[in-house]
Amino acid sequence: MEAIYEYAWLIPVFPLLGAALVGIGLISFNQATNRLRQANAVLILTLMGAAAVFSFALLSSQIQGHEPFVRTFEWAAAGDFRLTMGYTVDHLTTLMLAVVTTVAILVMIYTDGYMAHEKSYARFYAYLSLFSASMLGLVISPNLVQVYIFWELVGMCSYLLIGFWYDRKGAADACQKAFVTNRVGDFGLLLGMLGLYWATGSFEFDIMGERLETLVSSGSLSAGLAVLFAILVFLGPVAKSAQFPLHVWLPDAMEGPTPISALIHAATMVAAGVFLVARMFPVFEQLPTVMNVIAWTGGVTAFLGATIAITQNDIKKGLAYSTMSQLGYMVMAMGVGAYTAGLFHLMTHAYFKAMLFLGSGSVIHGMEEVVGHDPTLAQDMRLMGNLRKYMPITAITFLIGTLAICGIPPFAGFWSKDEILSLTFQANPILWLIGYITAGMTAFYMFRMYFMTFEGEFRGKDAEIKGVLKAEAAGVYAFGPGAMHAQELGTHQDHDDHHHADTPHESPLTMTFPLMALAVPSMLIGLLGMPWANRFEAFIHAPGEIIEEAHGAFDWGEFLIAGGSSVGIGLLGITLASLMYARKSINPAAIAKKIEPLYWLSRNKWYLDDINYKVFVQGSRRIARQVLEVDSKVVDGIVNLTGFVTLVTGEGLKYFENGRAQFYALIVFGAVLGLVVVFGVT
Amino acid sequence: MESAQFPWLTAILLLPLVAALPIPLIPDKEGKTIRWYALGVGLIDFALMIYAFGSQYLLQSADVQMSETYNWLPQIGVSWSLAVDGLSMPLVLLTGLVTTLAMLAAWNTTEKPKLLFGLMLLMYSAQTAVFMAQDLLMFFLVWELELVPVYLLISIWGGPKRLYASTKFILYTAIASIFILVAALSMAFYGVEPGQAVTFDMQALGMKDYPMGLEMLLYAGFLVAFGTKLSVFPLHTWLPDAHGEASAPGSMLLAGILLKMGGYGLLRFNVEMLPEAHIKFAPILAILGVVNIVYGALSAFAQDNLKRRIAYSSISHMGFVLLGIAAYNSLGLSGAMLQMVSHGLIAAALFFLSGVAYERTHTLKMEKMSGLAKQMPIAFALFTAASMASLALPGMSGFVSELAIFLGFATDTAYSYGFRVVVVFLAAVGLVLTPMYMLSMLRRVFYGDLKLKLDGFDASPREIFIALCLLVPVIGIGVYPKLATNLHDVKTEALATRVQAELPAFAQKQQGTLFSQQLTAPTLAEADFARID
Repeated sequence: MEAIYEYAWLIPVFPLLGAALVGIGLISFNQATNRLRQANAVLILTLMGAAAVFSFALLSSQIQGHEPFVRTFEWAAAGDFRLTMGYTVDHLTTLMLAVVTTVAILVMIYTDGYMAHEKSYARFYAYLSLFSASMLGLVISPNLVQVYIFWELVGMCSYLLIGFWYDRKGAADACQKAFVTNRVGDFGLLLGMLGLYWATGSFEFDIMGERLETLVSSGSLSAGLAVLFAILVFLGPVAKSAQFPLHVWLPDAMEGPTPISALIHAATMVAAGVFLVARMFPVFEQLPTVMNVIAWTGGVTAFLGATIAITQNDIKKGLAYSTMSQLGYMVMAMGVGAYTAGLFHLMTHAYFKAMLFLGSGSVIHGMEEVVGHDPTLAQDMRLMGNLRKYMPITAITFLIGTLAICGIPPFAGFWSKDEILSLTFQANPILWLIGYITAGMTAFYMFRMYFMTFEGEFRGKDAEIKGVLKAEAAGVYAFGPGAMHAQELGTHQDHDDHHHADTPHESPLTMTFPLMALAVPSMLIGLLGMPWANRFEAFIHAPGEIIEEAHGAFDWGEFLIAGGSSVGIGLLGITLASLMYARKSINPAAIAKKIEPLYWLSRNKWYLDDINYKVFVQGSRRIARQVLEVDSKVVDGIVNLTGFVTLVTGEGLKYFENGRAQFYALIVFGAVLGLVVVFGVT
Repeated sequence: MESAQFPWLTAILLLPLVAALPIPLIPDKEGKTIRWYALGVGLIDFALMIYAFGSQYLLQSADVQMSETYNWLPQIGVSWSLAVDGLSMPLVLLTGLVTTLAMLAAWNTTEKPKLLFGLMLLMYSAQTAVFMAQDLLMFFLVWELELVPVYLLISIWGGPKRLYASTKFILYTAIASIFILVAALSMAFYGVEPGQAVTFDMQALGMKDYPMGLEMLLYAGFLVAFGTKLSVFPLHTWLPDAHGEASAPGSMLLAGILLKMGGYGLLRFNVEMLPEAHIKFAPILAILGVVNIVYGALSAFAQDNLKRRIAYSSISHMGFVLLGIAAYNSLGLSGAMLQMVSHGLIAAALFFLSGVAYERTHTLKMEKMSGLAKQMPIAFALFTAASMASLALPGMSGFVSELAIFLGFATDTAYSYGFRVVVVFLAAVGLVLTPMYMLSMLRRVFYGDLKLKLDGFDASPREIFIALCLLVPVIGIGVYPKLATNLHDVKTEALATRVQAELPAFAQKQQGTLFSQQLTAPTLAEADFARID
């Protein structure tokens, strides 16, 4: 058994190797490597499979009660400063390893179908593999510095993948926005890390927690500072897990290919923030102020995401806001101390949200056959409808995912969300209320999405709607940060002319298989966390927390009230959605009219993007321009001295332009030499 | 001759110079032979360096090594004195690598190839000489000598404003180097009894005790001279012009090596020889460093010219060197040293790749170049990698050096708490600004639709090779920093000890963390208890 621990470092190395091989191939033998196409995919999938086998072996060993394993080596040193790197294998690590590798493999299989016609097929696989390596490296990190390293690396992969279609202006803007926003979070993370190191002299999570406690209780570190450091560290997760106010990058990140949205922007990377909060739990849990900040950030984000998701018409954007909202739940759970529940939701969400995203990709793939490769058309739900008839597998799996996220038992989301809500209720009823209302909205917008996409009439050939959408895209984008010019919109249609079928078709098996595979955990994995037999909690619990053996004291009454109420509000949301979008007995447009300001607030994402653009983007550009102005006019001017300027621009330049400039250099040199001689002799 | 006595350093220094002499005689109009000749010389010299350091250099010693001293110009007291230590050896290697690659980058130059390669070989010698010289006057001479080829490189092969840029460059650096001369002379002549021989030996000068006032003056003089070279605010304005106007190989040398001379000078003279004054000046260095970081980054962000943007990014990155030097501990100094090596590689790669783009587009205006990725995917990938390195992505060398500098400064108990907070906070703002200008540069140059008709195709194997030669060490150091830090660690630690010896006693703790300070108290108490029992 020891051997698999000794070689656990291979888990991230396998996909890294795959990425490196394909990457080197692309740099040095570009055409040959591209021609190999699926051979690249097979290589990368095999290596990823090996990593997965390894991960599951470790998981089963940990479940059987093996001791946590840490291995480190000295990475950098200077003076008496030592920085170690290495890997750690414990319960949380193996859980994350299992989740990441399964989703990664399924997404990689799916990619083969989704990107079948893509010119840069091999490059996409290389990026995918590089991302998987970074993500796996992140979860096995034993200390904060190593987390930071891989944290930035997953961010870089996300940047590369969002900008994968580099000729699209939207993608180019979105990837930069994602990276810079994440850097703002990392700025906090780095400062917090430095502060904590200054205080505790360590980067190890539990040592930091322990020593911080000693320092604060002995009074050598003021509690305010400790709180400040912890909140700075928390800024990292705020950006990475798309929490308010640094969430603005996530919806834009949907410009990337859909498999990426499923893997990175739903299942794994965005959950890394929650993972880091879990790792930093020994530090955070002793600071109630910090825990409150975390909980409220999560609560606000959950609510905000849900309110925006309600009015989105782009299927991927809708899912993105839903992801943001669900991440808010996880963070809120962490903040109220519901460690297990938060991570449980992380796991269930990873599966069902990955499936929903892949499902949306399948839908888009199908729609593209009808409307062409134009994201403004292929992703808009107003053009969809009745896809269940054409894409039955996609429809059924999407429905399963929808039920799971709405919290309908026995699907996975019910168990995890219910656990979060009931624990939040005990900690903070106001937050619970926010979470509870959000649950209702979740059910509403998810079923709105389902009905608009899969039920009713197929509207894909409706020229009128298409016209509206195109006009809207041109108009909306002109205000937004990703302002598009009309002719750029036009260019997308150039290569669209090879369509079109009249109706969409079901996607190939490589795409439907991952959907079916993910449907299984979406339905069943929640059963691990049934409150009366919580196997999940027995495996994952907060460091230092002791789980009582006696679960006999389980209170059925309490469970039924809590579970019943959350199912109740879910059903309410579903009913409303079906009345509005399936039965059409309520006209959504009329409601929108009645609450117009609220409708536009949601539709325009609470105007946060516009504020962000006006204040930060334009503001920083203005400051930069002013600094440059100062640089060229004031600093350059003063240092040059007026005398020199006249000399150089006037008389001097005349002389230089004679071509005797070289001569001048020799004069300088000679003069200096002369000076030396004179000084030296005297 | 036995290898132990063989004058390796002299050989390394003189080989390119001697090899440059017969170039005018080689019958070759188009430069097809010359380039192979020059490249061969560069490679042989680089190989000599690796062999000599590999076999002769002791990593565990902080002293100067492989010393070679000959009488050179006894009339004026200059001796040919060469040696290397942890500060200079890595930079000599960097010089060998970057200069050789710059010659390879200049491969297709059609204008006066003989002069170009001759000058490059001359620079090769002058640069290694600057890092190896152990005699102050010799240092000054080679420092001046190196200006001439740079001046010519800019003024002959540069862009449209090359005359303005090269004149500005020569005026700034020549005037600044007068400060070196004055300081050198006063150091040498201070306290010399009549009849006693004047020495310019840097070791001996470093041993001398100067009165505080003089030491401060000397420090200020060196600071102006080396600060100009390192482009410290407000002496930096020559740099965007020079780096922006020089041809790509010229910019590679300017950013890759010449900037490092400033940092090297600061470490060698200001820190090592004048530690007492350094204690007084270090806070100023820290402030200047932060100004450089933020100011350079903001100016870069507003630039529309590709090379000028990269040039301003160099100013920003040199701020980290200053910040590291300002830290009184080995972590900061080691970080500063690593930042120089790292930036030398990364900036050379960025300038080289911007040259690759320029050759195809014939413009450096970013609004005109867009969508290059479509036709140049490999160049795009390499440019992305270099930009990522520049914005200190972990796994690449820039991250390690900046992290070390941050850690070194943040744990430096000699500074007051508030000062550290402000400095670290502002320096970290640079971390947010760097991706803003780097990525928007990538976006504007490579993303989007192609607007220009490109003159040529994707990066050629030669160009890929050059970029990889620079990027592979960047990644290597980033993955395992000891590859580079091992070369200078012992020296920077000795340097830190020397500086700390000058610090007031209460602040002598090297890396102070709150917890370690608290630890010392209870241990003492326990020991007392034991005695009572």
